[in-house]
Amino acid sequence: MRLFFELARRSFQRQLTYRAATIAGLVTNFFFGVLRVAVLTAFYGVQAEVNGLSLQGAITFTGLTQAIIGYLSLFGWYEVMNSIYTGAVATDLLKPMGYYRFWMAQDLGRAVAQLVMRALPIMLAYAIFFPITWPKSVGQWLALVVAMALAWMISFSVRFLANLAGFWTPNALGFVRFAFILMYFLTGFLMPLRFFPDWFVRLCNLTPFPYIINTVVEIFLGVLTGPQIVVALLSQLGWVVILGVACQLILRAGVRRLVIQGG
Amino acid sequence: MRHGLMLYFRLVGVQIRSQMQYRIPFLVEMASTGLITFASFATLALVFQRFEHIAGWNLGEVAFLYGMVETSFGVMDMLFSGFDPQNFGRQTRLGRFDQLMLRPVNLTVQVLGSEFILRRLGRIAQGTLVLVIALNWVDIHWTLAKLCYLPFVFIGQICFFGGLFIIGATISFWTLESIEFMNVFTYGGTEMMSYPATIYQDWLRKFFTYILPAVFINYYPALFILDKPDPFHMPAFASYLAPAAGFGVLAAALAFWRFGIQHYQSTGT
Amino acid sequence: MTPIIRVHHLHKHFRLTRNRHGLLGAVRGLIAPEYRTVRAVDGISFDLARGELVGYLGPNGAGKSTTIKMLAGLLVPTSGEIVVNGHVPWRERQAYVARIGAVFGQRTTLWWDLPVSESLDLLQHIYKIPAQQFQRNLDEFRQLLGLDAFINTPVRALSLGQRMRADLCAALLHDPDLLFLDEPTIGLDVVAKERIRQFIQHVNRVRGTTVILTTHDLSDVEKLCERVMIIDHGRLLYDGKLEFLREKFGGKRQLVVDFAENYSDAPVDGAEIAGRDGNRVTYEFERRVIAASELIGRLSSQYRINDLEVREPDIESTIRRIYEEKLLENASDAAN
Repeated sequence: MRLFFELARRSFQRQLTYRAATIAGLVTNFFFGVLRVAVLTAFYGVQAEVNGLSLQGAITFTGLTQAIIGYLSLFGWYEVMNSIYTGAVATDLLKPMGYYRFWMAQDLGRAVAQLVMRALPIMLAYAIFFPITWPKSVGQWLALVVAMALAWMISFSVRFLANLAGFWTPNALGFVRFAFILMYFLTGFLMPLRFFPDWFVRLCNLTPFPYIINTVVEIFLGVLTGPQIVVALLSQLGWVVILGVACQLILRAGVRRLVIQGG
Repeated sequence: MRHGLMLYFRLVGVQIRSQMQYRIPFLVEMASTGLITFASFATLALVFQRFEHIAGWNLGEVAFLYGMVETSFGVMDMLFSGFDPQNFGRQTRLGRFDQLMLRPVNLTVQVLGSEFILRRLGRIAQGTLVLVIALNWVDIHWTLAKLCYLPFVFIGQICFFGGLFIIGATISFWTLESIEFMNVFTYGGTEMMSYPATIYQDWLRKFFTYILPAVFINYYPALFILDKPDPFHMPAFASYLAPAAGFGVLAAALAFWRFGIQHYQSTGT
Repeated sequence: MTPIIRVHHLHKHFRLTRNRHGLLGAVRGLIAPEYRTVRAVDGISFDLARGELVGYLGPNGAGKSTTIKMLAGLLVPTSGEIVVNGHVPWRERQAYVARIGAVFGQRTTLWWDLPVSESLDLLQHIYKIPAQQFQRNLDEFRQLLGLDAFINTPVRALSLGQRMRADLCAALLHDPDLLFLDEPTIGLDVVAKERIRQFIQHVNRVRGTTVILTTHDLSDVEKLCERVMIIDHGRLLYDGKLEFLREKFGGKRQLVVDFAENYSDAPVDGAEIAGRDGNRVTYEFERRVIAASELIGRLSSQYRINDLEVREPDIESTIRRIYEEKLLENASDAAN
């Protein structure tokens, strides 16, 4: 466990050195947020509420989603695939900790750094420029923290799983990119899932994707309450377990293939 | 000049042939790049079921804005792949730009010829599809003037986005770290141009009118083609500015590019 | 004859961000970066005559590649003068680079996904090489470098040695007057190194191309160069004959011998025993006193030998010796 946190700490510090990238990222995220506020405001027009979501909630949604792009690595993460291609995987597999945990530790450091450097400043900037809502009770904050942590674990497992395709083909880039495109649409990043027709939302809910963003958003906005929150968190937990097991199984198959083929 | 042009076609030919070598990955990537465009459109269409219109524009009209921008951006992205800010920065750090400088050929020609990503055809195809759908949904009164102007709008848009790529690539001479920031202009530009300009806050619209003339690239030509009134009461020629604005941005970008090369030569990597 | 390269009081300074240590430092660096100036090249002057083959040596970060980049026109000096072949390299880039060739380390100039032959064809068009000249050169290099075995293989599938051979060919097709080679033998096995050295020698002697070679490998220099320049901390520590450098400052060579029997003592004239480990004995000897072949002859006439290996003093330690012991007069300046 000490090794785990040591890896996470190092990866955290590495993130802090990307100075220009951080500032550029903040500007970018904020700018896209502003665009999306304009779009949603125009969509609402004179309506005060659409399917249980107020305009203020919708604006908060744009800020929150921009804020956690980095935390959840929504726009792409190809490190495991690259390490398979460069052969670094061979030495990483010899490390005194599981390969899945090895990457999870590093991703944790990265995610926490993104939370501090990206998510907080963006939410603060939003609070200054736009009328946004915040969680109202201690319970809601607690649920949010748990949901955020579980969302990161699901996001990590989905990304890790997609990257494992690198074991099977030397051209997995297209496939991994495809996974990120799915994340883009089905997590509820692009638009709140509530805006979609109900049949589409039911379809989405069969996948792990909405539990990466939509759950976090709806807890933050207070759309979910009481037992709904418990159900949402338990669903997240379920996906964490399922995906974690899937990662381990597929990783094992991939490593076996690597060993047989000699990389 | 002729040498440069001949060489450009030779370099692009080489790119195309080598990309066709891997047929399956090529097709998968082509499909997945295109998918974003169409899936975004599908998302928009689904959301329109709840909202019906945005600032007085219906789905078909917004689809026209979106289809135009996606198609021209896709073409640009194929032609100017060498200048793609993300890619260019990484290549420069790997010393690729040094190697181009060691060859007795114009650098702009070489960068343009260094990458020609054929799989962008996926995006172009999807963008065109959206445009075709839009033209079906919207009842446009076609006139000769509109038909003649449309190709120039496209060329203007391609120049405009190409100029943004070149500016982004040039900035990476300075920053060397990731320059996600350029996404503001490129992907932000396409996103912003996909909606009617009335929805944006005043300062944002002014920025995209007077500093980066994006509204003249898509919104005003669309007003003209769709016969919609101009809510900002610009002079009538505002609708015809797309080619001029496009060339202007491209020319400014090339001047900045030359300046950037000088800077690069004095600092290296 | 006018020199092909004239370098006068060349300086190149860079401004870098300082990385602070620790978590707090990283956060502070994010807010208020600190800068420091690095003098990568700090006042270098030399001339190079047409047809010379010179080794340019120095530890990592000494300023080697910064100098080469300035000579190749990739970097503009902070101050000082460079005239190469009548050109100031960074002005009139296109005209200048048409007359030089360069192979930079492990980066290939070839197109990754193309067969070697197609890359070479493209270079013919890039350099506007007349068909006849191109064919003549290509035939010559194909034979000398043994390119035929892999000329239709995509570059990405080549071994490091094959790629280096292809890159050497690519750098010379247009008959450059001057060739820059940056670590041409790095990572190669002995046979591949030897082949590349022979080729470089051919290009220099038969074709008369001036060559500047940077390398870590002293045996490259030993086999190829009469003249060496040594740079450290941006300053030229030594510029002169290799022989003189080796004799004066090279330190001792070592001969490691695995004997077939366990001799309690195995003395030999001309060398001292520096260490022993079972049947393995390490001798040290001076180049001036005895040649390696002579020493091996003496040993094998007296003892039964299984295996042996000659170890050269490496360039790093030679340079360190020059630097630390102030063996050269200007070394004292460099220490400041």
